Amino acid sequence: MSDRKSDELEHVDNALTDRRKFLRNGVAAVGSVATGAAGSAVAAEPLAIPQTNKMLGRPVVHAPYGLPSKFESKVLRRNVEWLTPDATASISFTPLQDLHGIITPAGLHFERYHSGAVDVDPEAHRLVIHGMCERPMQFTMDDLRRMPSHTAVHFLECPANGAMEWRGVQMDSVQFTHGMASCSEFTGVKLSTLMEYCGVSADSTWFYAEGADGSGLQRSIPLPGARDQNGNPLTEFDQNEIHKDVLIAYAMNGEALRPENGYPLRLVVPGCEANMSIKYLRRMKFTNKPLVTYQETRHYTEVTDDGRIRQFTLVNEANSVITYPCPDKHMSGKGFYEIRGLAWSGRGYIKGVDVSTDGGKTWREAELVQPVMNKCFTRFKIPFDWQGDEHLIMSRAHDDSGYVQPTLKQLRDARGTNTIYHKNSIQTWRIEQSGEVKNVQINNA
Amino acid sequence: MFKSTMLKLSYLRRAFLACAVLFGSMTQAEPMTGLGKPITDAELVNWDISVFFDGEGLPDGSGTLEQGEAIWGTKCAMCHGDFGEGVRGYPKMMGADLEEFQETAINNGFNVENRGLNNMWAHAPTLYDMIRRAMPYFLPQSLSADESYAITGYTLYLAEIIEDDVELIDADFLRNLEMPAANLFYTDTRPDVQNTRCMTDCFEGELDVTGKLVQGDFSGGNE
Repeated sequence: MSDRKSDELEHVDNALTDRRKFLRNGVAAVGSVATGAAGSAVAAEPLAIPQTNKMLGRPVVHAPYGLPSKFESKVLRRNVEWLTPDATASISFTPLQDLHGIITPAGLHFERYHSGAVDVDPEAHRLVIHGMCERPMQFTMDDLRRMPSHTAVHFLECPANGAMEWRGVQMDSVQFTHGMASCSEFTGVKLSTLMEYCGVSADSTWFYAEGADGSGLQRSIPLPGARDQNGNPLTEFDQNEIHKDVLIAYAMNGEALRPENGYPLRLVVPGCEANMSIKYLRRMKFTNKPLVTYQETRHYTEVTDDGRIRQFTLVNEANSVITYPCPDKHMSGKGFYEIRGLAWSGRGYIKGVDVSTDGGKTWREAELVQPVMNKCFTRFKIPFDWQGDEHLIMSRAHDDSGYVQPTLKQLRDARGTNTIYHKNSIQTWRIEQSGEVKNVQINNA
Repeated sequence: MFKSTMLKLSYLRRAFLACAVLFGSMTQAEPMTGLGKPITDAELVNWDISVFFDGEGLPDGSGTLEQGEAIWGTKCAMCHGDFGEGVRGYPKMMGADLEEFQETAINNGFNVENRGLNNMWAHAPTLYDMIRRAMPYFLPQSLSADESYAITGYTLYLAEIIEDDVELIDADFLRNLEMPAANLFYTDTRPDVQNTRCMTDCFEGELDVTGKLVQGDFSGGNE
């Protein structure tokens, strides 16, 4: 099989043939389904005193940097080994099924490298800002930490999230269908602060950012007036909104960035495909045209079913998924459940999430859990009484731009099945009578 | 007692907020000085190696196909194949010709493995930039400007975009080379689909639901 593999994430269809290997590895394995009835009135033995009540525990600083409970040892980032030819140009997935609230613990943030994670020395690291500006400058990490700071919570999502599912169901797991997305609190310097400080010209319509890793990854980010290499304007949103929230971040979830996430400095381009949020950020150049890099022509572009190639598909449109129950978390008996999930939009705020338990024939509005923030994971929940019947459960998000998350059929009709990226369609899980939960696709609605 | 405490707290909160607003505006007024150091282009010669689609940024220098072939054998072929066919999952140089590439896309055939320099690279200078900064994969930024020209030329030859009679690959050559896929690209105009928030009676009839595909069954009833 391995000689059939091609470029990185793109040979998704090989996943179909290699699925057996996947199953053998046990990554999709799930626990047995409990069927015990609750509320039994039969008298039982008194509860035993827990052993932990009768012992002395560990002292402070036993773990100077704390770790999760040993009972949570299966809550891990996972990858799909056969998906890419090399683990240094690959991706790992966040276990969304095990997370609560909206923050992804730093150690569980999905990883995506183009040439592996590196250890950049913060003392030696410099950020250079140059190009169309009055004062080209270099900054140390200390300079950046002294500047007016800004903190915001945003999701990051690889545009390949869900890519394996365009042509059919492949992954019985929310970790693998939606885990190329994570959400963190970032702290750093606003792009506007640095632009003002360096006197960026009003004529600059783009900037590009570059990383200090082996891939030297670089992406072009639009500013007002941005046009593509053929002189065609980007959408109003791309020109005027993307740059407003851009952050040059040195901290994530209260601590310094982790090496996996770009230590000591990364760009955060909220709402956009995370490839643009350049890690190990070392340089930003202000220009009046895009670079049109490898990433922007051969890689993060989409072959649509009109035989053309769509480029600069920057924004991650509104998306949502039910994270409980899901194929990774089955039903554990009849009775009450709270259906929970995550919704997010690269265009702004999640305005609402509708949930269906009958395959999309009827929908109910779920409750949004506060806080609801801009370009940020939003948690939703809705009560569900399960009496052992089969159900098709799904969530449908809409955002403050008026955009409603589309069905899979709508996306396939519009784009075909070769576009790889930006698959944000409604996800369906099937609760079976046994209590198992499966990944399914509705093809005709 | 309880009420007066509440009042006091509320008063304190207001006073605190007023201070915060005042303090906030005062900090905004402070000029940002003493941060960073000016930098000149001369200091950036090793860093600013980016090449724009139109060739801006291409360095001086040149290479030949013969030089490229020699480097290919030692630094590229182990991943991309002796003939650029791609091995062990790494990308091939020549993909399907444009006609086949587009036809496959239009018919929704699987086209990921058809991709190559001749159908998804719009600009030759971009190829130079990628090679110069990120290749060979195991030793990025180890090729000189001249070696990068030689290798760029050789990959274009392997993809049958140029003939073997090209004598010199340099900035002018790459800038003026028309890539086969140059006119295939168009810029995003999404949203391209429009769903609505139907709440009741949203679908009538039988839903076509498919689960995980049977091993080896690629159609799965999806098409």
